Amino acid sequence: MAVLRLAVPSGRLLPDTFRLLRAAGYRPGEGDSDRSLLRRWEGLVLVVAKPVDLLTYVERGAADCGVVGKDVLLEQAHEVYELVDLGFGRCRGVVALPAESRHLWADSRRPLRIATKYPRVAERFFWERGRPVEIVELYGSVELAPQVGLSDGILDLVMTGTTLRANGLVEVAEVFTSTARLVVNPASLRTRAEAVQELVARLSEAAQGVR
Amino acid sequence: MRSARPPAWLRLPPGLRDWAPDDLARLRALEGRLRGAFEAWGYREVATPALEYLETWQRGTGAPPRALFVVVDRTGELLALRPEMTVPVARFVATRWPAAVARLYYVGPVFRGGEVVRGDGREFLQAGVERVGEGGPDADAEVVALAVDALRGAGVPEVRVGLGHAGFLRALLDAADLPDEERGPLAAALLRRDFVTVSARLATAPQEVRKALQDLPALRGPEALPRARRVGVGQDALDELEAVCDALQAYGVGHAVEVDVGIVRDFDYYTGVVFEAYAPAVGAPVLGGGRYDGLLARFGDPRPAVGFAVHAERALAACSGVEVASQVLEVYYDPEARPLALRWAQTARAAGVRVAAGPAPSPSPQGSGVWFRSDGPWWVQGGEARRLAPQELEALTRGGASWLS
Repeated sequence: MAVLRLAVPSGRLLPDTFRLLRAAGYRPGEGDSDRSLLRRWEGLVLVVAKPVDLLTYVERGAADCGVVGKDVLLEQAHEVYELVDLGFGRCRGVVALPAESRHLWADSRRPLRIATKYPRVAERFFWERGRPVEIVELYGSVELAPQVGLSDGILDLVMTGTTLRANGLVEVAEVFTSTARLVVNPASLRTRAEAVQELVARLSEAAQGVR
Repeated sequence: MRSARPPAWLRLPPGLRDWAPDDLARLRALEGRLRGAFEAWGYREVATPALEYLETWQRGTGAPPRALFVVVDRTGELLALRPEMTVPVARFVATRWPAAVARLYYVGPVFRGGEVVRGDGREFLQAGVERVGEGGPDADAEVVALAVDALRGAGVPEVRVGLGHAGFLRALLDAADLPDEERGPLAAALLRRDFVTVSARLATAPQEVRKALQDLPALRGPEALPRARRVGVGQDALDELEAVCDALQAYGVGHAVEVDVGIVRDFDYYTGVVFEAYAPAVGAPVLGGGRYDGLLARFGDPRPAVGFAVHAERALAACSGVEVASQVLEVYYDPEARPLALRWAQTARAAGVRVAAGPAPSPSPQGSGVWFRSDGPWWVQGGEARRLAPQELEALTRGGASWLS
């Protein structure tokens, strides 16, 4: 039977993902370069995918399991099993406005233009509160948008708040909190049950230890 | 503030697609095999309209209107496109088909108005059965066995069916002893397969129940029933499940079916066994169903029923190797040979050969086929032509895929 494939997110969550895998007793194979996107570890093939693509790999069965931020699970509709909170990659999604116009938030009938990488989360958040909103979809440096008049504010991830401060933005509402999650393809959970259960058990134990 | 999009006629609304002949031929072949299996088990086809009153859907599925494609009728009444087929078949049977026992099947497109989930369209083909008027393990087992038989017959490899029980899950949720406002979010998390939230929301539930709900994805296989029994709730449901497993033994599908207590179906009308079929490399179930003894009652008829629906496009994705004969014999003619060519084409069609006939392009046909010229029939291929002997022409009308080459 083929080795289990685990999709891991390139970027911010990757170093902690490797740390967790090592803590769970998985060891890197020989001869993989740091740039290779398909890595053979002992008992595991790692597929390095962009976070935004990761659920596609898992959902279509190109990977059996995956490590992905809760922010992505909230933004993208999906049919994977979300089994373990891995604890790392903690961050929050917030709405932030320029300090000088933060008073705009108090008027809940005033339409706001919000720049974000999370259009669906944003739409849901404002819709649930009955606030009018116009969403501006951006894929990088969202905090720039209010400074150049592209939007009134942003909905984005914050870890320490440094970026917000450096760009003169202040948080006005928390939308979600996020950590990395272990997700599993529903068919793999059934057709490759033993291998999947072992990975789930080892990673959740390691995650408990790391926390 | 989105960038300018191409005009509507260059796009299709999200989640809708065209079917080119090759793909459609494969889908129709799959559909035909499913029909074949349903017919072979004594089921008869039924059809209901694609549009019904919005109220009918809400009564049947309990689904919120935003999950539906809603249409305003010219009188101002709200209609919706069918999101599934079980409710209309139940409505039909309850209101206009009093036969005591019915075995019915259907094939048709269904429509979802909600968000586009990756890989799933908002229109897709469902083929399924409903067995009305009989409760008990024999009816359940028949429908599960038919599910396996139909999928295998359609060419889906390594079919695995997980068999659970809606009553056990309901008993677990009851035993979790949650306030009413907590119960909805927990059930929603279960349906999303978000077990991180399930764990978090169960902090105050009894230890045994919490463990069972957290372990649902693993509560599966030969040990699942005894393990589920140790939780101490939903014993009636587990008895039913065991009886269905016993009945299934006689159908000889044993190794394709396993107990999977973690099966959670998305419609609220299920009351008894629930099941889903999986195939390798297709992330979502290719088939789902169960017993829904309360659904006909919503339409004024207390009869019990059980059924399933195949998600035909997912099933098609699972059987990647299906080949469909679609070979067409081209007939070309020069003006003076037209009567002869068209007469011959009719003879060949009557003999079952697919024939497309038309005037020969100048100076000579580029494809392969029969070229009727003033000096008789020729075989043309790759720009080269050779004269056809009468017996060769005769052989072509007898068809087969072995064109002269």
